Amino acid sequence: MAQEIVKGKSLWKDAWQRLLKNKLAVFGLVVIVVMTLAVIVGPWIIEKLTGYTYDLIPKDNSLVRSVPPTLKHPMGTDDAGRDILARVLQGGRISLMVGIISTLVSLVIGVSYGAIAGYVGGAVDNLMMRIVDILYSIPYILIVIVLLSVFGGPNTPEWIQKLSAAFGGENNQGLNQIFLLFFALGCVSWLTMARVVRGQILSLKNQEFVMAARATGVSVFGIIFKHLVPNALGPVIVYATLTVPSVMLTEAFLSFLGIGVQPPFASWGSLAADGIKNIQIYPWQMIFPGVTMALTLFSLNFLGDGLRDALDPQTRKF
Amino acid sequence: MIIPMALLVITLTWALVRIAPGNFYTQEKKLPPAVEENIKKKYGLDKPWYQQYGIMMWNVVRGDFGSSLKYEGQTVNEIIWRHFPYSATIGILAYVLALLIGLTAGVIASLKQNSIFDYGSTSLAMLGLSVPNFVLGPLLVLVFSFWLYWLPPARWSLAGLVLPVVTLAAIYAAYIARLTRAGMLEVMRSDYIRTARAKGLDEKTVLLRHGLRGGIIPVVSFTGPALAALLAGTVVVEKVFAIPGLGNIFIQSVLNRDEPLVLGIVAFLSILIMVFNLLVDISYGFLDPRIRYE
Amino acid sequence: MSRMRFIQFYSISAIILLSIVLNSCSTAGGNRYFGSTKFPKDNVLRYISGAEPESLDPQISSGQPEARIYTALYDGLVEFDPKTLQPIPSIAENWEISPGVDEFIFHLRKNARWSDGAPLTANDFVYSLRRGFAPETTSRTASLGYFVKYAEAFNGNQVFIRRGDKFITENDVAEKPADAPVPPPFGPETDFHKFLHAPARLTLDGDTLKRAQAVEPNQKLKEFFKFTAADFKNAPALAAKIKNGGDPLSQYLAANMPADALACAAAADCSDAARQAFADGLNKATDAASFFTQDWFAGLTLAEPAKKLGDVVAAENKKRADANKKIDDEIAQLTDDAKKAEKEKTKKKPLGKLFYANRFVLEQSFPDELAPVEAVPVKGEDIGVEALDDYTLRITLRQPAPFFLGLLTHQFFRPVPRQAVEKWGKEWVRPEHIVTCGSFKVKEYRPYDKLVVERDPNNWDAANVHLDGIEFYPVEEQATTLNLYKAGAVDAFLNHSVPASWIDEVRQYKDEYMNLPENATSYYSFNVRKPPFDNPKIRQAFSLSIDRVALSQFRKITKPLYHITPSGIFPDYDRAMDKVGEEIRQEKKLTPEEWDKQQKQFNPELARKFLNDNGFPVNKAGDGFECPSFPTDKVVLLFNTTESNRQIAEFIQAQWKQNLGITVPLNNMEFKTFLPFRNSLQYQGLALSLWSGDYMDPYTFLSLHYGEQNDGGAGFHDPKYDKMLDDANAELDPQKRNEKMARAEYYLIDQLPVIPLTINATNWMKKPYVKGMYPNPGTLFAWKFIYLEPDPAKWDTDVENLMNVSDPQVENQLRALKSTMTK
Repeated sequence: MAQEIVKGKSLWKDAWQRLLKNKLAVFGLVVIVVMTLAVIVGPWIIEKLTGYTYDLIPKDNSLVRSVPPTLKHPMGTDDAGRDILARVLQGGRISLMVGIISTLVSLVIGVSYGAIAGYVGGAVDNLMMRIVDILYSIPYILIVIVLLSVFGGPNTPEWIQKLSAAFGGENNQGLNQIFLLFFALGCVSWLTMARVVRGQILSLKNQEFVMAARATGVSVFGIIFKHLVPNALGPVIVYATLTVPSVMLTEAFLSFLGIGVQPPFASWGSLAADGIKNIQIYPWQMIFPGVTMALTLFSLNFLGDGLRDALDPQTRKF
Repeated sequence: MIIPMALLVITLTWALVRIAPGNFYTQEKKLPPAVEENIKKKYGLDKPWYQQYGIMMWNVVRGDFGSSLKYEGQTVNEIIWRHFPYSATIGILAYVLALLIGLTAGVIASLKQNSIFDYGSTSLAMLGLSVPNFVLGPLLVLVFSFWLYWLPPARWSLAGLVLPVVTLAAIYAAYIARLTRAGMLEVMRSDYIRTARAKGLDEKTVLLRHGLRGGIIPVVSFTGPALAALLAGTVVVEKVFAIPGLGNIFIQSVLNRDEPLVLGIVAFLSILIMVFNLLVDISYGFLDPRIRYE
Repeated sequence: MSRMRFIQFYSISAIILLSIVLNSCSTAGGNRYFGSTKFPKDNVLRYISGAEPESLDPQISSGQPEARIYTALYDGLVEFDPKTLQPIPSIAENWEISPGVDEFIFHLRKNARWSDGAPLTANDFVYSLRRGFAPETTSRTASLGYFVKYAEAFNGNQVFIRRGDKFITENDVAEKPADAPVPPPFGPETDFHKFLHAPARLTLDGDTLKRAQAVEPNQKLKEFFKFTAADFKNAPALAAKIKNGGDPLSQYLAANMPADALACAAAADCSDAARQAFADGLNKATDAASFFTQDWFAGLTLAEPAKKLGDVVAAENKKRADANKKIDDEIAQLTDDAKKAEKEKTKKKPLGKLFYANRFVLEQSFPDELAPVEAVPVKGEDIGVEALDDYTLRITLRQPAPFFLGLLTHQFFRPVPRQAVEKWGKEWVRPEHIVTCGSFKVKEYRPYDKLVVERDPNNWDAANVHLDGIEFYPVEEQATTLNLYKAGAVDAFLNHSVPASWIDEVRQYKDEYMNLPENATSYYSFNVRKPPFDNPKIRQAFSLSIDRVALSQFRKITKPLYHITPSGIFPDYDRAMDKVGEEIRQEKKLTPEEWDKQQKQFNPELARKFLNDNGFPVNKAGDGFECPSFPTDKVVLLFNTTESNRQIAEFIQAQWKQNLGITVPLNNMEFKTFLPFRNSLQYQGLALSLWSGDYMDPYTFLSLHYGEQNDGGAGFHDPKYDKMLDDANAELDPQKRNEKMARAEYYLIDQLPVIPLTINATNWMKKPYVKGMYPNPGTLFAWKFIYLEPDPAKWDTDVENLMNVSDPQVENQLRALKSTMTK
């Protein structure tokens, strides 16, 4: 008898199909993809089409003021007469980068750190968690101020300079600071993730499947990353999508204090923060950056929820 | 455990304050060098750094953070205890409100997964997450102070509490709702819930006595640092609503390089965080019988 | 919830939202006043004062928000006129000024009291000024008062130098001793005044090493420190000690002086001439090498001060050696020879021979044999303030200062209560201890929330204080400030608080929006010590390519600034500027048009020419320009983060991009990071400065670039400019003084250490019922003039410029106060 070959669906393929069935998640995915594409090529297209860039202040002095949305400026202009659309697209680059980098850091460092602490337990767990507590207690503003003053300006490390040169700033000092900022935000963004993962692992590690794995001689590393982490993925993904907005807001706050993005660059957060002051007179200054940001975060969260559901090995409803 | 850790935090913070450029007396108009020397002498800044560190630590160990450098004549302890109640009031009210909304929304959403309730409550939660509080605050002010004339736009008063509390609660409610939903989905399919159901317990008991206990573990993890941070004050909301809370004072103290005040608040904050996290760790055991500490 | 009900829910919410929007439309517009304007229930002014005050001690902090609070809590000798800010009588009823404008006699009123009821006398002013200048007070505004004789020396721990019973005077060591006759005394002569009125004593640093460093290069001064025969308390004993001492120091001294001088001095019957020879020998030996770099103290037990000095010298030398080693390491890594040489120059030599330091060691080592050159610390009792009697105060300055009277309105010169300061130490400012002397006293203080003050019945002028009290709210957020005002929760708020984007909206409410020129300027300073801006032509190019008119239009409220001092603030000075400008035009033989064009500096073409001529060719590229050789990676435009600073920087960056093709990167910093960076000239390129005049005289702006250590931020120092200003201040005729200062200003403009940008403008609001509160050039208020007008008919209506509106109540009050001036 010929052996029947049973094709096992791979976890990822399976998840992907389930994700596609979740309309909201698909909507989120589409928005994110469109938004990412838009911020990558958008500024370039806008410049080719209309000549506006994020830092172009009109030569004609009568145009140096806030103009409501028109065909020329679909999102209106800001106080200096700059095209808000161009600024929103450019700001998206920074905001999305801040979000992505911090989330990556929190996924890589936070998840492994929390998982190891949770699984190993005992004194090690205690020590690792206390380190997190300590880091959590040190004011991050102070960290950023020190980081920027020690590594900012002429003292910027070479790898950061190279990184920002790769992103094509002819004048790198503004970009340098942005990358330093990414680094600083990454440093603090993984802490809560580590706590969340540890909590999950604690509740999972005494379950039967872990004991079974242990009994069959799977290595500690294998247990943590092949068995425990995938089972804790739901909260991890949810928390990762929660990290993005909080990091973006932190960035906006730091910009507000003067230790964030360097003008004339902007981020969604800083655009919205500037715009909200004028909400009563120039509402478009707030609405467009604000809605763009909200829409992105909205979609990101839907996508996160959808991913969570799709990756959940026990969800077989669809 | 908490005390040595707090001392470590203080040491690190002290080092950071010292590395950061500028001094508490740095001002627009340059000080004559002689005056700068006088200031250094008066505040012991002319001593070698290890002596200064030693003196600082010795005082801290005795619980004396000294006087603020910026606000002459006010002690650090006095400032902390004077402003902590403001931030704590707003923080606790906001967190209670957030728990009420968040837990309800999260549980409903998880029970009726992919239903209109799920989408509705998730969408609302996400709205709370997607609108930054520096946007939400002024929007609420616009609506409730300038359109409806119901509430004052800023400053500390009973009616003035409403807007900052709602602003703060929004984002936390959203977090809690999302974490609860995820946690509940995880738990409601686990074996012990199945067992409980099989035992014939009614759905309400299963949900509230067994499901919720496990399902809110992520929320509990989150609550530790979140509540500590809330109690210590939140800068943006305090700034927007001109509330004399600890958060704003903390940021100002960092920006002013007011070293004793920074250290005092950091110590206070770190103890707060550690105590809350300890409580969280203890509560895991109560909430989820599977968590055991060897 | 069924789907139907779900839809219902959403439609109801939508209706509510819609109604809110409609509601907002119906209430907006058509209002005569901005937001809610209701006359307050109490006769209390609610004022947003900005940042939380640092301290209620008027002598400590330098902030503007504090200044406004201090003027309510403390009366000074003089108060400012609510409109012109010129000094008017306050605790001083009237005053006399010496012909040389360097002495002032104040006649105080007899009914001035502290809030605790104690009488306020001339002695309180003497105490307060001594306290203000005392080093341990660490006042951050004390330098404003350095015009008071010996105040700077006292504040800086300096010493007088005494040889025998004679103090060295500045004249003794001046290159060209002044031969002007000492003017007759002003006012009654006292012993103290004889001391003050005598030629100024020389003051040197209190620190021995610094003093020695100051003495070394100045030959004339060094002479005073040389040993003379009179210095020997016991010459034979000293000679014997040197001759017989086995220690290296004695051996060195013996070896380096004429043997016969030493032998003769050791003999008991030494002639004066021989003693002088011994002294000369000592001088020669002491001046030959540093005692500190060799191991000469080995066998000696040095006196404590000499040992300490030795330690300090050793530490300083080690510091320099370490720094040099670091530079060596850096040089080792460099390949470029030019850069190596440049680095080499930054090395510091070790402390060389310092005659006075050597002498100090000898003085300390032979206390019984040698008389020291005495360093007498300057004390508080030495500064130029004297109570002639309880109600007469005399202040003596070190130089003529015509603007000094105006300076006296400043918080630093307002009296502090000796009774409270001495009792409570630094805690005297706590609300339960504080004693004040102003129109108002502290009633309730909740930091970061509010400071409530109430009318002080003990105040000498309490009958003319109209408000029952003032509530100061520390709010910093501009949007929050405006919200509170709009909601009618406050009656007025601090300057610079209406965000630029709101101005078009708010300026329709003319009766409330206060917008007039201010005693303040914004400018970008160049770091004139680093390339490329060490070249004045390059500096000019950058200045010429800014369209200041456009900048001011963009900022909406400011006016273009072309010079160092703001025009429109000092009318007499403006006339002097015009006159001197005309003279310079004729000297340079320019037509009025050319001159005008040169003055109103917007000339991109010329700017590009300057760049072309100085090695940075500007090419046309498309419809713009490019200047590829300009080192944009080496320069930044530095500023501290505020919304307005950022907007100005972005605007100017765009201007340079358009007109020169140069994109100067922007770098914003948090304030306390920014300040040391700018002040120590670490920046390359340009940095922002905002300067508010400390007093109503052009000198407050011109002195920004005066002296080697100045507040200009550019690192600019030009002795010629300093000399011109000194000459101007020595001029007693106000008209001529102004012209001399104007000359100096034109000279400075040619050097252009800074890019003048804008004359700032007041930018705040007050409700129409608040009267007697004026947008004067400093936005400082004499609070006792302010009152709340309950009758809407008398509210400010259709006011074009509040400063031109006559308010009978204020005028009368002012007239009554000024009437004592002519008594």
